[in-house]
Amino acid sequence: MNPSIRVLLVEDNPGDARLIRVALHEWTGGSCVVDVADHLAGALLRLEAGGIDILLLDLGLPDSQGPDTFAAVQRKGAGLPIILVTGTGDEEIALELIRRGAQDYIVKGKIDAQLLGRSMRYAIERANIMNENRRLNETLERRVIDRTRQLEAANRELETFTYSVSHDLRAPLRHIDGFARLVRERAGDTLDPTSRHYMDSIHEGTQQMGQLIDDLLHLAQVGRQVVRMGRTKLDTIVQEALAGLDQEPEKREIRWTLGPMPEIECDAGLMRIVFMNLLSNAVKYTRPRRQAHIEVAAELIRGRTVLYVRDNGVGFKMKYADKLFGAFQRLHRADEFEGTGIGLATVQRIVHKHGGEIWAESDTDQGATFYFTIGEGRERPDVTT
Amino acid sequence: MSVGLVDVLIAEDNTADAELVQVALEQNDRSFRFHLVRDGEEALDFLLSRGWYSERRYQDAPRLILLDIRLPKINGLEVLRVLRHDPRTRLLPVVLLTSSTLEEGVALGYHPGANSYIQKPTDFQLFRQIVHHLARYWLEFNEPPPLGGRVMDSW
Amino acid sequence: MPDTSMIPIEILLVEDNPGDVRLTREALRESRMRNNISVASDGVEAMAFLHRANPFEKAPRPDLILLDLNLPRKSGRDVLEEIKTDEGLKHIPVVILTTSQAEQDILASYRLRANAYVTKPVDLEKFLKVVQSIEHFWLEIVKLSRS
Repeated sequence: MNPSIRVLLVEDNPGDARLIRVALHEWTGGSCVVDVADHLAGALLRLEAGGIDILLLDLGLPDSQGPDTFAAVQRKGAGLPIILVTGTGDEEIALELIRRGAQDYIVKGKIDAQLLGRSMRYAIERANIMNENRRLNETLERRVIDRTRQLEAANRELETFTYSVSHDLRAPLRHIDGFARLVRERAGDTLDPTSRHYMDSIHEGTQQMGQLIDDLLHLAQVGRQVVRMGRTKLDTIVQEALAGLDQEPEKREIRWTLGPMPEIECDAGLMRIVFMNLLSNAVKYTRPRRQAHIEVAAELIRGRTVLYVRDNGVGFKMKYADKLFGAFQRLHRADEFEGTGIGLATVQRIVHKHGGEIWAESDTDQGATFYFTIGEGRERPDVTT
Repeated sequence: MSVGLVDVLIAEDNTADAELVQVALEQNDRSFRFHLVRDGEEALDFLLSRGWYSERRYQDAPRLILLDIRLPKINGLEVLRVLRHDPRTRLLPVVLLTSSTLEEGVALGYHPGANSYIQKPTDFQLFRQIVHHLARYWLEFNEPPPLGGRVMDSW
Repeated sequence: MPDTSMIPIEILLVEDNPGDVRLTREALRESRMRNNISVASDGVEAMAFLHRANPFEKAPRPDLILLDLNLPRKSGRDVLEEIKTDEGLKHIPVVILTTSQAEQDILASYRLRANAYVTKPVDLEKFLKVVQSIEHFWLEIVKLSRS
């Protein structure tokens, strides 16, 4: 036991005070120093002066009673262990205050040197541990905040970069397409079929690149956009997304099942993009089916509203699922299903911007379901400058 | 001023784009007199009859101005702002050419007062179609603002 | 990426002559771009439509306005001025489509920041052609360039 333990005993009854001091003396063999305060104001002053290792606190003081006393001392004490000195019948209050941070309580009239000693020892140790924990947590929190800020800054830079690069690529692309075309026109009939075919390939190449650039630009734009939340009827959004879908070249039979959708807090424009992408994918990947079934609905899973788009299309193997949302990642060959692989990255970006999550379930030839949530009203601080 | 020839001013710093615009315009069956300026300052010199172009008369103002938003020295939006402020050029028809949706969005937010905003696509056939219809519309069907000595704005 | 040009283009035609309304609708029906035409038959109606006031609370925001200068109740000039000085409306392209070829009218319209001015020909064929050229440019080309 540390010989120079300094105890602050806050007790207004001289008799009780003396009993406690005797017990303390017994326990420490005289090697602890006891300061006494008989009212709250005095106790606070003494705490302010510093050097106290532990408090023994009677809640009933002339200038303060009960939980208020504790609160005042706790505030001033800044992590110091506090042992309550209570009368019989005050156990309820004591327990409540322990929940609020008191380390222990002793009952007047049942003061025993051993018990007191053990209680104090534990109290001091526990207080140390608690303080250490709190300190670690604060450091951790600060680190997380810094890291998040760094990530967000990096993200923004990347988006700006993606944006300006994509933007600047459009002009030379137009030139390649333009001059190749003009060459072809000037050459006219002198161009042999193979050369004509090569020229066609040049054009196709530029078109593909153009589409890629547009998709990238779109992704970057979505990333930079400030989310404008508002009460939105998802039914309307789904209808608008449907109206905006490309007409399929061959008349195909698509059976749409649209479940009732809730009204939620979200950015309507961005949500429309989410649905347009998911629906357009569903339409695309159900092309080999004689009858395509596409379902859009909402489900309550473990108390959360989960939105989903389900199709009976070609699906994909779950082992590739983690590649699904990567920009440019495709799980099907370009000659089977066209696309640049940006769509889902954009969708994920938007869902994350809303504080939500997105995931998918599928198997080869078993269709696919894309689930997503919109964060419970909590908007991720994705603000652009 | 020659009868039948239509003056078109193209303000474009990119040589290839300027060339493609001219090719596209030439495919109309009108005869155009192209004027090409390569930066914002030159564009203003031309339209305000100063510097190199101090000999130009306001009556010879172009029937159509294709103004790229990105110009060196003074950008397209600034040029437009100056044009709209000057009574001599306030009413000239200007079509602003942008490279992307975001650029167009920026331009619109600026409210610079172009008559129309066109995005230059990457597909050349589309680009040609656009320029063709643009020229036909502005030079054949649209009534240009009256110019000439007595019709200066706010005189 | 889904094609947003499938969403119909909203046109507001401000025209009091029912014959001209009919012809304009016909001409625009030929367009390759899906379009939706709303008609206001005088200046007051036009402004109510644009401000989404009663009974036009659900009015769509037009992508293009075709405006005749000769209108009852409120003139085309006043409508033009109001549109081009309203923060929320001034970026909507306004094409003046009117019978007058008078210099004052053309000048006044451009001064009030009309985007374009087209005179209505008397001849039917020419009228259809004119409307189609407007459609070609303002609908197909402007929209097409954004796809």
